[in-house]
Amino acid sequence: MRTEDLVGSLSADLAPVKRLRPPMVRAAGWLVLSVLVIGAVVTVKGFRPDLEARLVEPWEVAQLAAALATGVLAAIAAFHLALPDRSDSWALLPLPGFALWVASLGWGCVADFIRLGPDGIALGTSWSCLGFILALSLPLGGAMLFALRHAGPIRPVPTAAIGVLSMAMLASVGLSLVHHLDAAVMILVWHAGAVLVAVALSTGLSRPGFRIARRLSTAAA
Amino acid sequence: MDSPADGDGEGGWSALMAAAQDGDRRAYERLLREIVPFLRGVARRRLRGEADVEDAVQDTLLTIHQIRHTYDPSRPIRPWLGAIAERRALDRVRSVSRRAGREEELTDLHHETLQGSSTNEGERRLQARDVRAAVADLPPAQRRAIELLKLQGLSLAEASVRTGQSVTSLKVATHRAVLALRRRIGGDERT
Repeated sequence: MRTEDLVGSLSADLAPVKRLRPPMVRAAGWLVLSVLVIGAVVTVKGFRPDLEARLVEPWEVAQLAAALATGVLAAIAAFHLALPDRSDSWALLPLPGFALWVASLGWGCVADFIRLGPDGIALGTSWSCLGFILALSLPLGGAMLFALRHAGPIRPVPTAAIGVLSMAMLASVGLSLVHHLDAAVMILVWHAGAVLVAVALSTGLSRPGFRIARRLSTAAA
Repeated sequence: MDSPADGDGEGGWSALMAAAQDGDRRAYERLLREIVPFLRGVARRRLRGEADVEDAVQDTLLTIHQIRHTYDPSRPIRPWLGAIAERRALDRVRSVSRRAGREEELTDLHHETLQGSSTNEGERRLQARDVRAAVADLPPAQRRAIELLKLQGLSLAEASVRTGQSVTSLKVATHRAVLALRRRIGGDERT
């Protein structure tokens, strides 16, 4: 097919489209929706009994704030990255918050070791933490990527990775309000581990995932 | 992080795209015709062969068509077009280097044959095997288009429903698949 013929064919195919709203507005809408979903799950599961005592400790609050900021900034970044004319550097936006969160957990491990000795960094298993974060972040992330499906032909991998990072970090904040995990090493391994698993899965599945999302939306149109 | 809108100054491409988003076909056709040289320029920075440049331009036009709703008319249009053209050119660079790794030059020896239908039976079978192998080596979208439209004999509309791709995308995929098969099997017989 000659380029001139393709131009004619595309023009003949033209249908009106609804412009996307600005990325900040879309990100805000998405954040409200995901906070409502995660909040509902947290309410059903019940807050951890020692939550009030936890929330007066500046260290704990800072840790939660870093996780929350990472989730919010990652959502904003994902909605910008999905647009062709925005800079790749939007992908960096959530990284300082994420680094701060991981560093605070690392520092917590050191503090636990100083306070309790080797027992303070004894690693147990908490599959439920992994399950909670994956069970929330993968469906929410999948739905978010459906909303971001136009990123498929442009930046599928960074958009999927940062979008799912956002959902996983918000799920981790929700889990921190529900679950008893005192040792920083446990949070580091099970929360951060679950976040990394979610991001790795979304990175690997980004291209076929966006293709399926576009097919679904074409079939529905 | 992004520069504010500065007006595109390109014969109102931005305004033409805004009109196209609202369904104005004439504005869209004019826009696409006017941007083709710009898209070729972007593709030529990455690709050498004119056929590959043209393929990249066509891929860019298809992507523009697919995601035209992502353009915000309050922002300059060149970065939006340029980013899409750049992605498609890079895809084409990857596909060219993959192809280069698979193909080898045909020599006269490859064309040697014997006269008479029975003596050529073996060669015909080998050719059929080559065609099957060549179809299997096509990129997934082109392979699917060839299988549905040429082997299973579906109509464009049926194949479009089956794959979720637009009729135009299927036409382009089939056209490219046929060209790729010709290149692979019969030498460089581009039309």
